[in-house]
Amino acid sequence: MDILKQFLGRLHPLLVHLPIGFIILGLLLQLYDRRKHSYNKVVAFVFLWAGIVSIFTCVSGYLQYLGEGYSFDTVKWHLWLGIATTIFCFLMYSRISGKPFLAFLKRFPIVLSSTLLFVLISFTGHLGGDITHGKGYLLEPFPNSVKSFFGYETFEEKTIALTEENWETSLFYEDVIQPLINNKCVSCHNPKKAKGELMLHSLEEMLKGGESGEVIVKNKPEESPLYSRLILPKDDEDHMPPQEKTQLTKDEITLIKTWISYGNPFNETIGELALNKELFLSFFPQKENNIYPDTIVVTAPTDSITLIKKFGIHVQQISNASNFLSVSCINKPSFGDNDFEMLSPIKEQIVVLDLGGTQITDAIFEKLTSLPHLTILRLDNTTLSGNGIAFLAQLKHLKSINLTHTNFESSFISPLGKFKTLQKVYLHNTEASKNEEQRLNGKQTILDYGNYELPKIAADSIIY
Amino acid sequence: MDQIERLIREKLIRDAQAKTRRHFIKECATGLGGLALGSIFLGCDPLEPKTKEQKITFSERDLNPLATLPPPHTPKVKSVIYLHMAGSPSQLEMFDYKPVLHKLNNQDCPESLLQGKKFAFIKGTPKLLGPQAKFSQEGESGNWVSNYLPHFKKVIDEVAFLKAVHTDQFNHGPAQLFMHTGSPRLGRPSIGAWATYGLGSENQNLPGFVVLTSGGKTPDAGKSVWGSGFLPSVYQGVQCRSEGDPVLYIEDPKGISRDLKKSTIDAINKINKEEYTKYADPEILARINQYEMAYRMQLAVPDIMNIQNEPENIKEMYGVEPGKESFANNCLLARKLVEDGVRFVQLFDWGWDSHGTDHSTAVDLGLRNKCREIDRPITALLLDLKQRGLLDETLVVWGGEFGRTPMQENRGNKEMGFKGRDHHGDAFTMWMAGGGVKKGACYGKTDDIGFLGIEGRVSVHDVHATILHLLGFNHEEFTFEFQGRNFRLTDVEGEIIQEILA
Repeated sequence: MDILKQFLGRLHPLLVHLPIGFIILGLLLQLYDRRKHSYNKVVAFVFLWAGIVSIFTCVSGYLQYLGEGYSFDTVKWHLWLGIATTIFCFLMYSRISGKPFLAFLKRFPIVLSSTLLFVLISFTGHLGGDITHGKGYLLEPFPNSVKSFFGYETFEEKTIALTEENWETSLFYEDVIQPLINNKCVSCHNPKKAKGELMLHSLEEMLKGGESGEVIVKNKPEESPLYSRLILPKDDEDHMPPQEKTQLTKDEITLIKTWISYGNPFNETIGELALNKELFLSFFPQKENNIYPDTIVVTAPTDSITLIKKFGIHVQQISNASNFLSVSCINKPSFGDNDFEMLSPIKEQIVVLDLGGTQITDAIFEKLTSLPHLTILRLDNTTLSGNGIAFLAQLKHLKSINLTHTNFESSFISPLGKFKTLQKVYLHNTEASKNEEQRLNGKQTILDYGNYELPKIAADSIIY
Repeated sequence: MDQIERLIREKLIRDAQAKTRRHFIKECATGLGGLALGSIFLGCDPLEPKTKEQKITFSERDLNPLATLPPPHTPKVKSVIYLHMAGSPSQLEMFDYKPVLHKLNNQDCPESLLQGKKFAFIKGTPKLLGPQAKFSQEGESGNWVSNYLPHFKKVIDEVAFLKAVHTDQFNHGPAQLFMHTGSPRLGRPSIGAWATYGLGSENQNLPGFVVLTSGGKTPDAGKSVWGSGFLPSVYQGVQCRSEGDPVLYIEDPKGISRDLKKSTIDAINKINKEEYTKYADPEILARINQYEMAYRMQLAVPDIMNIQNEPENIKEMYGVEPGKESFANNCLLARKLVEDGVRFVQLFDWGWDSHGTDHSTAVDLGLRNKCREIDRPITALLLDLKQRGLLDETLVVWGGEFGRTPMQENRGNKEMGFKGRDHHGDAFTMWMAGGGVKKGACYGKTDDIGFLGIEGRVSVHDVHATILHLLGFNHEEFTFEFQGRNFRLTDVEGEIIQEILA
């Protein structure tokens, strides 16, 4: 039985089109026949059936409301208007078919009642659409001006953009605090919604406060609900914004605190208030903290990757968002210089290459120059002496070379000084350890000779 | 017993008798009918050549659940070493310096602090217990560390401290589960399982998630702290033993050659693959893979788990004790495993539950011994990773499941013979080091006695979000569908702790 109920309920979106069709047909016939009234019988018949199918539609709609877990508030108006439409269909039928017991209806002009029915069916249908597709679905494609005309919420996110040049001359309230509150608070605290009778869209309203009094106590953030509610635990009833809304970041909360503690200044710039730059750092354009090249490469050919993988070399995109590849011979210790050719179809994409523990020789250095984007190179646990490492100076993005556990010789350290982008060279357990230089290339390149020791101390052997 | 066997035999005979020729023919009819129907359906596609054999293709992940996948965002680290001090170390004797607490030593704890708080053992009004260690600021960062950890100051600038971590659990089992699975109850996957599920593992001869324990006991929460929860079981942690064979029965049995073993496993896997084509149950694939992995592990694991082959100076640096179960050995193993491409290494060291019930749990005695056991190995681990260029691509996390009270424990409302501290979840210290972590950072602050976090409080979920972030995941989008909804490691919480990121 429940299944049947649910099934009938789900038929509602289909059934609704019957009364709509019938009513529109009836109205069209009425319009076409407005002079002669010779179709009255047909029109009455159409409205009678419109009414009958409307009953079914109402019933199925009610079942859907029961079965699909809508709240009554959501469907309320759609439900009442649907029932009103049904009754109206029967009234139209009675009037046009001339049933004597409803003669008083004749006093009502037919044009008016037809128009009313049209409005009724349109509005009921629209409300139904809002329930299935979500409020504002219809107007979604329109610009904000149209939406706000129809009474929908329109809140544009205002971006807070500070730069090295303008941050000191930017207004603390207008350029930072106001957009911040606009983005996180105003969607509920505005002239149309005003939750808790509080409006935050302008400073005047903000100072007026809401139903529980003022939200800003000058210079005292801890006593100002505008700040103190932000720092309540998220599951506290009074926490703002409500748990399910976008929360303020820690930096933003600190800014609100600062703004109140400075006496909520309105006209002052950040420079005039002598505020610390660190407070605003999160609004500066974020430097892409990425060690890999800033260029975009095409996707590596899948066939070649499959082939390389079959050979036993591990190939992997560095992330889903990038076509750059990380290549490793961790499962292929027999990899030698001659196998390098195999990587040529993906040479553009390789940024990380791990040849650690393989059979490569010094001849590999020249071959490596064919990898234009190579950033991280591991050559550890091999028999390399370093002869030819100067070739790698051609690589424009190389940042790290790992030469630990090799026969790398000190004499090949000086060529590394010409590497423009190199940041780190790992030389633990190599011949080069005796070298003195810690940094190269104007201190930019760090040489890590490893061989760290932890000398024994007395505390090592004391047992308490 | 005899009776049961007789009953079973009788049932078999009755079953056999019940199946008559009529049954056979009847079943044939439906069976053949079904086959015929199936072929009609299959034949419906006019484009498909009739003679083509039905072929089921496997994706890389189907055949090898540990095949690597790219993370959604560019990762900062490839692997994680998580050092868990099971029992929970006293932050007040190691990293969180509280001079005021020293002055208040032996004074009654104010009632206001105790209101609404739950303790595991503290009863009535306990007395405050001043820090038992001496503290100093070390390194360029000037972060505090106690004289319980004399070696650690050498690497203090590599580390980012979280001084005000909090948890809502105050007993070991649930708190450990919370720390490792994001939920204090059983059934969720551990961080390591999430990481291996999301990223796979590069070395095809080793498991992606290895667990090593020391201190004589495994964690109170049991193996669930490295379990796979609702993820396929292939992603659970593989516990390697610290003594004897690292994995039980890793040697071939007598009289079985490696070739014979290989053909046995091949035959089993062939049958299992057929089973998979029939039922498409991913657990079958996990089983196939585990057979193959076990076969490859037979060669790789004894080799990697053997610390004897390491050079003397390295062994000395860590202070290893070959053949014994020790945290030092495990630290060296962790470095070897990460070096060989293992995704997640989990170390548990038991014995940090400093209640002060006896010598070994006194904060001025036993705790000092525990600190000595980890001080050198952890310092060595960070230095060794650094000199091999591995610290850039590895994340090292240190912590317990909660912290310890600034009050002296008074079990049964009596004064105790040794100085100890009770469980305390409101504020404790953790640290991270490695790729993407801000070197020498210190985030969060506790009050004057170290009871509550007053600045930069971070939750266990925040720690998880940060670990996942460094591995290249957005913790809010990294989900697994189970029981009709998407699950996350951080559930509905967690914020990345930007303050300790480089």
